Amino acid sequence: MINLVQILIEGALIGLVYGLVAISFVVIYRASRIVNLAQGEILVVGALVLWTFTLGTAQAGYHIPFVVSIALTVGACILFGLALERFVFRPLISQPAFSIFMASVALLILLRGLAQLIWGAETRSFPAIFMEGGFTVGPFLINTRLFLGGVCTLLLAFGLHAFFTRTRQGLRLAAVAENHDIALSLGISVRWAIAVAWILGTVVATCGAVVLLSGRIISLDVATIGFKALPVALLGGLESIRGAPLAGIVIGIGEVLAMAYLDPLTKGAASGLLPYAVMIAVLLVRPQGFFGWKRIERL
Amino acid sequence: MGLVLANVDVVYGGVIQVLRSANLEVPDGQMVVLLGSNGAGKTTTLKAISGLLHSDLGSVTAGHVTFNGADITNADPVAIFSRGIVQVMEGRKVLEHLTVEQNLAVGAHRRSDQKAVRRDLERVYGYFPKLPDLLKRTAGYLSGGEMQMLLIGRALMARPKVLMLDEPSMGLAPMLVEQLFQAIAKIKKEEGLTVLLVEQNARAAISQCDYAYVMDGGRIVLHGTRAQLENNQDVQEFYLGYGGAEGRNRFHNIKHYRRRKRWLG
Repeated sequence: MINLVQILIEGALIGLVYGLVAISFVVIYRASRIVNLAQGEILVVGALVLWTFTLGTAQAGYHIPFVVSIALTVGACILFGLALERFVFRPLISQPAFSIFMASVALLILLRGLAQLIWGAETRSFPAIFMEGGFTVGPFLINTRLFLGGVCTLLLAFGLHAFFTRTRQGLRLAAVAENHDIALSLGISVRWAIAVAWILGTVVATCGAVVLLSGRIISLDVATIGFKALPVALLGGLESIRGAPLAGIVIGIGEVLAMAYLDPLTKGAASGLLPYAVMIAVLLVRPQGFFGWKRIERL
Repeated sequence: MGLVLANVDVVYGGVIQVLRSANLEVPDGQMVVLLGSNGAGKTTTLKAISGLLHSDLGSVTAGHVTFNGADITNADPVAIFSRGIVQVMEGRKVLEHLTVEQNLAVGAHRRSDQKAVRRDLERVYGYFPKLPDLLKRTAGYLSGGEMQMLLIGRALMARPKVLMLDEPSMGLAPMLVEQLFQAIAKIKKEEGLTVLLVEQNARAAISQCDYAYVMDGGRIVLHGTRAQLENNQDVQEFYLGYGGAEGRNRFHNIKHYRRRKRWLG
């Protein structure tokens, strides 16, 4: 019993990391209707940028204060997000969905190549931004990094939800998420909204990198988290910020349960397959996910 | 002054010409109605004014659209909106997953003076007393009449100078249509609003307007004051539905045939 609860806690915490990355899918999808498959690569680029402004500059002999490093990283992420929108996805506006899909596949490969070109293929350690180690609650051991990351994810999800439903700026973005033509007829700049969405998506992905990698090793393989977060985003609903952490917890718990009970029987395949089995089931049974928008049809 | 279209041509996708040298004037504080059959170019005229042609890959290729003397031909829709020209598109375009309250808030998204926004909300509730009861409802599940109230209310929240309504009566029961037009007339009078109304329901629309234009095949074919149009034989027959004598009806058919030719040409 204690073992099971321990597993559930670990699953939920891992799941919240998936949820955080899923939020970065969701903010981009809401504004632009683009499911950016290269989100995992964007996360890795964000992580490498943060490394550059912290340990990288330290190795080169420049010690910059941590706050400045973070500011520089956020600034670089904003520029990166804007550049992706301006040079890759904006020229594709009103092109068929398939062109946009292929563009995101191309971006995925391109970013992998560019990351290797700029930072090299070697693995490096990521600065420890969250406290390492764990703490115990009763008989249960909780990983401090994942716990703090999970708290951040929940705060971010509720914060963004409140932003999108209550503030003037957020409601503009919600209107764009709903329908570009209506938004335009209400004097909302769709271009501005999409640019904001890409900035948010890039910054949130980098937050995901911090939670995932703090005090650990960065390598280009970390990008596979993007493909783990995609089923989470679908299950939560591609338009729903709040759905992402919930779906993350569901899939995270499912994954650790499969790891504990099914993997020994299936040579370790079950836990890897589970998120994608869930993804296909969601697409077949409830394509809008938990809280996604079902198009209201009126005839 | 007011809103003026001078010899405006609109072409979609570089090949399909929809407006041919349209001339139209909407003076300040008046209600002008634009009538015409399907495909006559009424919606295109509104979009040429609001700048929403761009999202349909259309553009004004000749002529000028001016508002109070300023040239707004092919301007950015956001810029035109901020000049106070607001188009309510046809087809009940509510933000369907947002609540009624959020829809109204989106209408006022450019305004930071929260007190004035709240006052305007009260005014909108005054025109549409049913709205306050619907605030928490999801807009996509409202009835047609409720949606239309919400749309006009949302447009008013932007404090427009010119309100352009595209077929607000579409799909509404006759009684609701009457209430709606009364509400529009009341709003126009109390807010000193300029209204450009596109309608198929000619009888209801003409009864409230100051001036009317009739479009056909992308051209303005007839225009006049309410009294002039109400007494015009063609308008009576084509748009107000008063049946004529037998011979008159045959003439009507001939005219339809000739119009068809003109449209193809």
